[in-house]
Amino acid sequence: MVLFVVFVYYLVPMISMTRFAFQRIPVIKLSLGNLFDKWTIAPLIETFKEPEFRSSGLLSVQLAIATAALTLVLLVPTMAVAHLRSKRMRRIIELSSTLPFVVPAIALVVGFAGAFRETLPILIRSPFGLVPLYVITALPFTHRAIENGLAALDLRTLVDASQSLGATWYRTVVFVIVPNIRASIATAAFLALTVVLGEFTIASLLLKNTLPLYLSYAQGRNPQGAFAVGLVLILISTIFVASSNRLGKVVRT
Amino acid sequence: MIEAVTGQFRSSFVFSLRLSFVSAILGLVIGAAVAVALMRLSDVRGLRNVVVGYSAVAANMGGIPLAFAFLAAFGMQGLATRLLNGINIDLIGWGFRISDFWGIVLVYLYFQIPLMTLVIVPALDGLRKTWLEGAQSLGASTRQYWRFVALPILTPALLGGFLLLVANAFAAYATAFALSAGGSRLVPVQIRFFLQGETITGKTNLGYALAAWMVIITAFLVLGFQILSRRAERWRR
Repeated sequence: MVLFVVFVYYLVPMISMTRFAFQRIPVIKLSLGNLFDKWTIAPLIETFKEPEFRSSGLLSVQLAIATAALTLVLLVPTMAVAHLRSKRMRRIIELSSTLPFVVPAIALVVGFAGAFRETLPILIRSPFGLVPLYVITALPFTHRAIENGLAALDLRTLVDASQSLGATWYRTVVFVIVPNIRASIATAAFLALTVVLGEFTIASLLLKNTLPLYLSYAQGRNPQGAFAVGLVLILISTIFVASSNRLGKVVRT
Repeated sequence: MIEAVTGQFRSSFVFSLRLSFVSAILGLVIGAAVAVALMRLSDVRGLRNVVVGYSAVAANMGGIPLAFAFLAAFGMQGLATRLLNGINIDLIGWGFRISDFWGIVLVYLYFQIPLMTLVIVPALDGLRKTWLEGAQSLGASTRQYWRFVALPILTPALLGGFLLLVANAFAAYATAFALSAGGSRLVPVQIRFFLQGETITGKTNLGYALAAWMVIITAFLVLGFQILSRRAERWRR
């Protein structure tokens, strides 16, 4: 019973959104008779042709990839060292990775703008100044993913073996650690991508034209297209989260 | 700092906190009910995976697209509004607006309920069957078992989840922003106003102060969550 009610509650907004985006009949005129008329994916296609959409979409994808890449480059070696060296370092990393829960995105961006507006204005002006902020926002998720992967390994033995064969630290990370935790790495990357593609607060305060900002502007001008793109975004993040869940299970077994 | 919690800003904070607490309490109750229902129906294969999987998706949803979905469903011209009207439930006539307090609560529940379910399912897994059997062999009814055995054990997990939900709702920004076309009274939306209008109002400091208060409040909530979740783990060994 509870499940059924909640199920309906989960479903109704998604159905309404789909209908609104892809059916060219106003709600007032909707009746049982024309329920299946005039469905079209034209709003989506038209929106895809818009230059504003293209530029913001491109920016969002670039930001997402840059964020995922930077996250992995920073996180994997650092956390591997922490696992090898000391429990205390691990705990400090874990604690700081939960900081984004304590500092809401809006406060983070306020502090960021305050700190760098005078000292390093390039970070505020360039859209890629968002990348470090996004790395931080995604940290609770990405950290968890990598942590699970590393915890499942006998890291000490692997590293000793690799170094006794004469590998440098760089080679050890790239050729030994990374292949062993590739499922976690994929999970972390998926989660980072999801976070960046949906992030609105930070981009809106720093006035960067990412995809969610485009949606919020297009809401008034081209609601059908905006809703259609929103639906696609939901779909993409659903796929990302679902696949990272599946990969997470591979890690644990 | 003081100005940021007096006058109109106090009402912002009150509004934000009230919204967070109400949506967290409802999320707690419904999310826990979903988790318990899942346990009951554990013979239905795959159900649990689907629900927990979708919960992970929905808990992360939020943002602009979610606001769109609810506008399409419960807005003035929404599909659900229309359907309910068909069975003589006139939401708009009752004064319900999706950008008002209860409207935002309704939307926030979309990510609050699944988040609670995610937090509670592991705790329910931690309840051992032997405890139920033990209680029953001592003559306890199912209700007594839940009241005197299960609930006290679950309390830290429930409370911790509750605080997490409050913090979650408190920090949410994009959804409310899109629902109300930027005119919301929520604290985060107010901060935006001060930061972007700095040349006109000359009150950027106020934006910083509001943000600082937000951090202080969420810091307390998260600290509480950490302490409680440590207690919740004690029974799981």
